[in-house]
Amino acid sequence: MPVVDVTVEVCGMAGDGTIAAGGLINEAMSDGGFSVLAFDSYPAEIRGFGRCVTRSRIGNEEIVALEDKTHVLISLNDEQARSRVPFLSENSMIFFDSNPAVYVREDKSLVSELDPETILFGMPFNDIATASAGTTRGRNLTALGCFAAICGAPHDLFRGVIIRKFKSKGEKVLQTNLRSFDAGFDYALEHFSNRIKSIFLIPDKVGGPKKVLLSGNQAIGKAAIDAGLKLYFGYPITPATPIMEYLATHLPALGGRVIQMEDEIASIGAVLGSFYAGTRAMTATSGPGFALMTELITHGVMAEIPAVIINAQRGGPSTGLPTKTEQSDLHAAVFGGPGDSPRIVIAPTNVAECYHYTVKSFQLAEKYQTPVILLADFYLDNRVENLPMPEASESEKSGSNVLPENSLKGSYRRYEITESGISPRALPGMEGFIFSATGLEHTQTGVPDYSPENHMLMTEKRHRKITGALGDLPSPEEFSSGGKLDVGVIGWGSTFGSILEAVTSARNRGLRVGGLKITSIFPFHESVIRAFMNRCSEILIPELNYAGQLANLIGYIHSKDVVRLNRVTGTPFPPSAILEKIEYLVQVGDE
Amino acid sequence: MAQEHCVIIGNGPAANQAALTLRENSSDARITIVGQEPFPHYRPHLLPEYIAGRLSQEDLCVNTPAFYKECGIKVRLGQKVVHVDFNKRELVLDHKEVISFGGLIIACGGKQRIPEHLQVFDDLMLTLKTPADAAQWIEQLSQVDSVLIVGGDLTSLSLTKALLSLEKRVIFMLNEDSFWPVPLCNELSEKIKHMLTERGVEVIKAGRIKRVTRVSDRSIEVETDNKTLRVGILGAFFGMTPNVKFLARSGLDIERGVLVDEYLQTRFDLVYAAGDCAQVYHPTIKDYWVSIGYQNAINLGKIAGLNLLGGMLSVDASPESIFFVDGIIVNTSWWTEF
Repeated sequence: MPVVDVTVEVCGMAGDGTIAAGGLINEAMSDGGFSVLAFDSYPAEIRGFGRCVTRSRIGNEEIVALEDKTHVLISLNDEQARSRVPFLSENSMIFFDSNPAVYVREDKSLVSELDPETILFGMPFNDIATASAGTTRGRNLTALGCFAAICGAPHDLFRGVIIRKFKSKGEKVLQTNLRSFDAGFDYALEHFSNRIKSIFLIPDKVGGPKKVLLSGNQAIGKAAIDAGLKLYFGYPITPATPIMEYLATHLPALGGRVIQMEDEIASIGAVLGSFYAGTRAMTATSGPGFALMTELITHGVMAEIPAVIINAQRGGPSTGLPTKTEQSDLHAAVFGGPGDSPRIVIAPTNVAECYHYTVKSFQLAEKYQTPVILLADFYLDNRVENLPMPEASESEKSGSNVLPENSLKGSYRRYEITESGISPRALPGMEGFIFSATGLEHTQTGVPDYSPENHMLMTEKRHRKITGALGDLPSPEEFSSGGKLDVGVIGWGSTFGSILEAVTSARNRGLRVGGLKITSIFPFHESVIRAFMNRCSEILIPELNYAGQLANLIGYIHSKDVVRLNRVTGTPFPPSAILEKIEYLVQVGDE
Repeated sequence: MAQEHCVIIGNGPAANQAALTLRENSSDARITIVGQEPFPHYRPHLLPEYIAGRLSQEDLCVNTPAFYKECGIKVRLGQKVVHVDFNKRELVLDHKEVISFGGLIIACGGKQRIPEHLQVFDDLMLTLKTPADAAQWIEQLSQVDSVLIVGGDLTSLSLTKALLSLEKRVIFMLNEDSFWPVPLCNELSEKIKHMLTERGVEVIKAGRIKRVTRVSDRSIEVETDNKTLRVGILGAFFGMTPNVKFLARSGLDIERGVLVDEYLQTRFDLVYAAGDCAQVYHPTIKDYWVSIGYQNAINLGKIAGLNLLGGMLSVDASPESIFFVDGIIVNTSWWTEF
């Protein structure tokens, strides 16, 4: 079977059905047995204007990142799609409406921008949709039909997905969409019969476990439910809101509750209260909401109360770029808030890790009695991957509260100094124990005490506890052939997929390059990172923030300055930019 | 003019030569080629070699896309001009895009000519003008072993050679439509028959085709005045006619092609026509003539480009090289080239 690695893009104006069309492509291709990694970008405004773009990378091998270039562009609005032209690959295919409602001048035309190698498929989307279904509302499905026919995707594959998606909306809606799709499919076969490309040849038998399409946010929501989440408190904010939506759909039926609070301060307060009472709870927010939470997060640190907080990063500062991706909350997650307030920060790099690290966050929070921050980002939250349905074992999901022994009744000290820093925590209602929670510095029994000796003692305890959590945190994962490396690339979060793609390309070109994935942002595995750095002539750290926040955090470990590669474009890190930097560093090193 | 937008309709030899001439003589001009076919400028006379497998599709190309980029010539392929408004100096593409121009060269070439009585069998006949046509030939030749060629022109002779090299059985049907617009007198007919027979081609004189029927995926039945034949492919080669229907309501003077003076200018300022689509006025014979052939097209493209920039070059065609056929005056050089 030929190698398939195609990036398909749908671009339109908000309201054109762009995201819906992209979603159908993802589902159909996933059903067909292909690997899919997709990412949507849309305007911050609710509806009516602004550019929507879905990008789907489809292949028959594992996909870890979006590709820089687009091979197929389906334009539902040419004026918007013009901005995508620089990202087109050579010999790309363009599907566009050949009979728009009004005449378009050259300087506003999509087609006028294209290279001559571009393969054009102009079809009257509106006319076809209207003739088949009596309305232009299905023109996105018509475009999809043309795309499916030209690319050689089976007709029934898409029809099955359309039926699955629209059957709950009633027969009329379903038939409108099916007819619009069929009409586009038939039109393409009739008018472009000699230009059919058999790109998406569906394998007869799909091997391996059945895959499902899951976004990072859906994976987080599912993980929370699997981990026994009982209460979700939140305030809507892009890009974290889909987590609340997912939980609102699924959690009540399982006996849990989703409560929209008045703001993020109330949300984190309720999460702390819930965990204080021994019930698993969670909140999810983004940068501006996280900023509001920081005081209470440090309350959790001081009072040693568990909490699970999802920070779905977006472009900042302040309200910033609500629907753009960025990795600029690392400092805020690790250091945000008053005082020395160590907490656990984990950053997944793909959808599967969104699931597993969310599950893990609950155990870590309970065991180490501290807020755990899962640092995702827009690209990871909104990204869709198809993967075997992630599941957690019973032991991964089980409670991990460190409860006091019965023998301690009467002599129990809530903040007892221990070697690990972990003090057994009594839950309200446990007979014979006292229950203390205070944001003031306190003694081992929980009595306020501001003496220098006590503050030193308790601060050390809290730091010792968090450092000790390293043993339960995922160690950095290396991707190299071992030995000395000319360039070592270290990354975190959603950018690591792009790093892995670039490192793999560099290695395929014979370069001595390796990648190191760091998911435990704080505490971090200093010795493992040092060992890797010591084997590398140059350390490159690409990040989607301006200053290089991970580089600031771990750069001191390296014997010389690490090389930073920073972008704040609001878009995923292009693998080509990382590869280019790797090649430059190798070349400079050789000279 | 030198700094205005010069648009060339067409992507054949005349169009490309016009564009290159404009670029060579005007570094500031914005130049756009609009071609209806999705293929880059290619050498159509090499298509039979491509079918024979002796050339790749890349070998057919005259210049790479990168070359045009370097030259600053925008090439728009697969885009059809459907109307030209010479008053507004705008042309409209089939996807409703409006392009303004300062100067225009119409070099849209010709299209395959199919005699009227055969047009009903259009979908059962193969022609050969474009790489897409060639792809069809290649696909169908892989399944059949015989080809009937009707009509006859330069391309058909080259294709015949290619088919023979592929060990296909070739039947060549000579009748009054053959080698249009050249009058097929007995002497010429015998000469062609002799030449083809020597090379292993079966030449038949079978009158006019009356009926064509697809018998199976690999077989077509052709009924003529006096014969019924079964072959794998029916190839139609009746020369070209100017492809100017889209200009019918534009106000241009059109007979078969676009009527231009000896400087290739139309009745509109800064609008020229060149190549197979033009009918060129000859001041000596005081009539219009049609140029056919790759090299002639290049020559005309160059003249059109230079004159658009203010030159006054006239087309050099001696009256002796032009003759009358079927009401049209044809430049014979394409024939003598063969």
